[in-house]
Amino acid sequence: MIVADALSMGYTDVDACVQPVIHEASFSIYPGEALGFVGESGSGKSTLARALLGYRRLGGVFTGGSLRYRGLELTTAKPEALRAIRGLSIAMVAQNPLASLTFHQRVGDQILEVLRCRTGLNPEAAQLRMLGLLERTGIQDPGRVALRYPHQLSGGQRQRVVIAAALACNPSLLVLDEPTTALDKNTESQVLDLVSEMRQQSGAALVLVTHDLNVVARVCDRVLVLKNGRIVEQGPVRKVFSRPGASYTRMLVEASLQIDPSCKPPIRSPGAELLRVQDLNFSYPRGSWLFKAPAHVPALKKVSFSVARGDVLGIIGESGSGKSTLGMILAGILASPGCQLLWEGRELAPSMRQRTSDQLRRIQMVFQDPLSSFNPRQTVGASLERSIRCHLGLSAGRARMRAEALFTELGLDADHLQRYPRKLSGGQQQRAAIARAFAAEPDLLICDEITSALDASIQSQLLDQLQQMQSKRSTAMLIITHDLSVIWKMAPRVVVLKDGEIIEQGDTAQVFMQPQTAYTASLIRAATSAHDLWKF
Amino acid sequence: MNLFWNRLLKKPMAVAGLLVVVGHVLCALAAPWLINHDPYQLLDMPFLAPNGQFWLGTDDIGRDFFSRVLMGGRLSLVVALVSGALATLGGGVIGLLAAYKGGLWDDVISRAVEMKIAIPSILFVSLFVTGFGQSIVVLAIVIAIIKMMGVIRTARAQGLVLVAQGFVMAARLRGESTIYIVLRELLPNIMDLLTVEFALRTSSALLLVSTLSFLGLGLSPPQADWGLMVHDGLQSIHSQPWLILVPAACIATLVVGINFATDGLAEAGGLEASRGIAGH
Repeated sequence: MIVADALSMGYTDVDACVQPVIHEASFSIYPGEALGFVGESGSGKSTLARALLGYRRLGGVFTGGSLRYRGLELTTAKPEALRAIRGLSIAMVAQNPLASLTFHQRVGDQILEVLRCRTGLNPEAAQLRMLGLLERTGIQDPGRVALRYPHQLSGGQRQRVVIAAALACNPSLLVLDEPTTALDKNTESQVLDLVSEMRQQSGAALVLVTHDLNVVARVCDRVLVLKNGRIVEQGPVRKVFSRPGASYTRMLVEASLQIDPSCKPPIRSPGAELLRVQDLNFSYPRGSWLFKAPAHVPALKKVSFSVARGDVLGIIGESGSGKSTLGMILAGILASPGCQLLWEGRELAPSMRQRTSDQLRRIQMVFQDPLSSFNPRQTVGASLERSIRCHLGLSAGRARMRAEALFTELGLDADHLQRYPRKLSGGQQQRAAIARAFAAEPDLLICDEITSALDASIQSQLLDQLQQMQSKRSTAMLIITHDLSVIWKMAPRVVVLKDGEIIEQGDTAQVFMQPQTAYTASLIRAATSAHDLWKF
Repeated sequence: MNLFWNRLLKKPMAVAGLLVVVGHVLCALAAPWLINHDPYQLLDMPFLAPNGQFWLGTDDIGRDFFSRVLMGGRLSLVVALVSGALATLGGGVIGLLAAYKGGLWDDVISRAVEMKIAIPSILFVSLFVTGFGQSIVVLAIVIAIIKMMGVIRTARAQGLVLVAQGFVMAARLRGESTIYIVLRELLPNIMDLLTVEFALRTSSALLLVSTLSFLGLGLSPPQADWGLMVHDGLQSIHSQPWLILVPAACIATLVVGINFATDGLAEAGGLEASRGIAGH
């Protein structure tokens, strides 16, 4: 159906030079099949997927080869010719469903608009068709949902609406660009089921762009592995994943974290109690300093748990369950009078402003986005040394030596200290952030989604290094994540949060193998069902 | 740095603007050596037409006009540069402070800025001049205050983006002081923005100095100043039009030159937002 022959693409940079992005990609897409584009960030997979619609991002150019859709050469097609196939024959679902729906229009009207522009249906027929589409995508009560605005829908519902709009004209090819990255695991699982079901019903071919091998294993028949704009391997999913030909693919497959029952989470004998959280309630303040208003929904309700010295505690939950809020309260970034924290049996001030500098040193935090956690105008070394000198009061020379030692321990070059954060890769940035946290010699390290911005191959390596650092120093850690495989690898104990309440806590192995609540069970199922497909 | 100059040289308007500015600054610096008459000496020959001895003739009370034009940019340039620098640095720090502290601080600063903007500049200056006397120092400070308001707003907007980032959070968790965070963590991150602001504020300060001198609120006679010269030249606009056209052209070319140069420099430096800033 689509044949790409030695297709090359590039982007024009500020100096009007073309930087190559895709190098001589050759592949075909057959009617009705599901093809996965896999690669790490920057591999060119999104660029290639957009090219299937004859679309280039700003500055993008086709530099060679051909790309044909049923005899139409997409690289040279006129805008009118492209318009005739976009939406009707080839449709696209973008990554962020909130950004792909316009916020001033009701979602039903947005689908109707597609139908009105693309088909000659009369208003009544279009209305019926729209409701039918919403129903097909598994939206309950489509009549009411169609009247809502995008912000009134959940992430999963939004993605369903976008898929419904893409399917409106029965396209023969549907391109999905990272359709589930903005969704939590539970919703991701439902959307993937929907995608597979839609494909069977409509017989459309699928192109699924993702960095998550589990997603490909679940939905696709064939897979195409991209690295730095080159196709390094393509073939049936089973074959590629079980017997990867290219070393890069093997690395991707091995790096992909899994919940493997044969490899149990680490067990540690608990030490003395370090931190106790008792009946913690928290609501985000509303209104200004002048007019305080009561908050409507509390973010955390009666949360109680304790962390022992050297312990690693995982905190899981869907987005909005209050797990990040919890981390920020412990660090003292958020504070409210209702926060009761006991540190080694003594009361700990809720706000970081009231904590002593020694207390500040003892609790360190690593943030989700590694790039933004370093000042772009300072070298990484300067940030690190500042932290060492602030917390430990060392001289400049000693601080420098310490920073170099930490970098070497984390497998970074001491030369990297002189670089600015932008000149480091995502994994290097996050390792530098971990080095900075350990530089203070903390007793408790709070890791808030530290792997979610990283590629799979770097994730497991980073976690290994974190584990080594942690066990060597017997620092207690709090790992906040939505990724259950991270918890399985790192944490002997786990706390499950739902709507700000702890609904389950205990040993990780036990909670994962015999979940006591339906909510936990569904989280585990969403994370493992993809993994089961691996084994075939 | 080479890349920067390469990009800059591809923009003819920017290069032209830069040349005009450099020319003006060089003239102002070298003026004492370039003039061929004392700009303050009365020659008893008013309203002479341009000739071999007096290249631009003489003004209404018989002073050599060419010398006065050369000297006329010096003071207003100094005042504009000083008040531009004060406005940019002060505004940057205050704006960042508002963004970082939030709450009461932000409200007080933002409302104060709005109140100041509501007062017409000319009225504001006359209040100050009446209160503190008509001196160059007062003039520089009052213009700095007027021009600071826009900078505070821009810096605050940029600051709000920065404050939400992890590195600021990390600094707070280290227990750093507010002064350290504003000056060392935040300020370096808006320096490119402030550079553009500095150029733009300086050019509009220059315009304001000339306007004020023209109205009799700025520099005072017998000072050689373009704004004052435009004022004096008004009486003889029909008989000796060059007396008003030459100083007016000097003001216009300098202001326009700074604007073109800033635009080009900002783009070459990769600051896309400059277009939006240059708008006001």
